[in-house]
Amino acid sequence: MSGMSKIVKTAVNILFPLTMIFGLYVIAHGHLTPGGGFQGGAIVASGCAMIVVAYGSKWVFKQIKEKRLSSFESIGAVGFIAVALLGLVFSTVFFGNFLAGSSLLFGTIPATGSTGADFNTGGVLPLMNFAVGVKVIAGLFVIVLVMAYASSVKEWDT
Amino acid sequence: MEKRTIVAVLVFAIVAVFFFFSVFMVHPFGKPGQVNMDDHIIANTQNETGTNNAVTSVVFDYRGFDTLGEATILFAAVAGVLMIFRRVKQ
Amino acid sequence: MGVEFFIANILVLILTVVASLVAMLLRDLLAAAVAMAAMSLLLSLEFFILQAPDVAIAEAGVGACLSTAIVIIAINGTKRMEDE
Repeated sequence: MSGMSKIVKTAVNILFPLTMIFGLYVIAHGHLTPGGGFQGGAIVASGCAMIVVAYGSKWVFKQIKEKRLSSFESIGAVGFIAVALLGLVFSTVFFGNFLAGSSLLFGTIPATGSTGADFNTGGVLPLMNFAVGVKVIAGLFVIVLVMAYASSVKEWDT
Repeated sequence: MEKRTIVAVLVFAIVAVFFFFSVFMVHPFGKPGQVNMDDHIIANTQNETGTNNAVTSVVFDYRGFDTLGEATILFAAVAGVLMIFRRVKQ
Repeated sequence: MGVEFFIANILVLILTVVASLVAMLLRDLLAAAVAMAAMSLLLSLEFFILQAPDVAIAEAGVGACLSTAIVIIAINGTKRMEDE
C-alpha cells in the first residue's frame, strides 16, 4: 500500500500523538483505572496501524525493520516471565506479589475501601503491565506491518 | 441415504442436545452461582495485592496463568505471521 | 438498572444487528469493512453500558481499528467488488 492523499496525512499527523499519549496513559495507569497492558498496547498499535495506512508500508519499512519489532516482542515476553519467576524466588509462588507491602518501588498498600488513587501502589502489577504493553505493541504492529508490506510487493527482495 | 450423511446428522443431533441443555441450565443474568471466591477477592484485594483496581489484580495476580496463556497465544500468532510472510531468497 | 439504561441497551443491540446485516449484504467489500468497524464500535458501546470498561477498550482497539486495517489490507491485495 503506497501513501494516501495529503488530507489523510495531515489528519494522521494530528491524531497520532493524541492516540500515543492515551495508550501510554492506559498502560501506565493500569493498576488504577480501567485498562491495562493489553488494552493500552492495542490502542498504541492502532495508532501505528493508522501510520501504516496513511503513509504506506514501504515508508514505514524504511524506518523500522520487522526483526527489531519481533525482538521487542520477545523482550516483553521474557520480562513478563522474569517478573513472575522473581515472585517464585522472593515470595512463595509463581506470580507471587513480592513488592506489595515492602518499602521498595510500588510498595504502598492503600487503605481499605474507596480511596484516592495513589500511583505508588500495586507491587509487581505495574511492571507486568509495562512488559505486556511492550509485547502487545510490538506484536500487533508487526502483524499489520508485515501483512501490508507483503501485499504491496509481489516478491520480497532479499 | 449415505453413511456419511447419517453420521453427520447424528453428530449434529448430539451437539444440539447438549447446547439445548446448556441453554436451559445456565444461571440467570447477574446472579453468579458460586460467590465465595468473589467475596474473598472483593474484600481482600486491597490488602493482598495493594491495588485499587480489582480487575487488574485478578488478571495479573490471582489469575496470572491466564495472562501467561494469552501472552503465549500472541507470541504464537506473531511467529506464524512472520513465518508465512518471511523473506524468500530467489 | 434504570429504564433509560434498558432502552439504550435495546437500541444499541438493534443497531449492532443492523450493522452486521449491512456488512453481510453489501457488495462493495470496502463499505462492508467499514460497516464491520461500526458493528464493533457499537459492540464496545454495549460493553460499556454493561459496566465492563476493560472489555470495551480492548474491543474498540482490536475490533474497530486493527481488524479493519487487516481486512482493508487484504481487500487491497485482491478485488474491491464481490463477484455475482
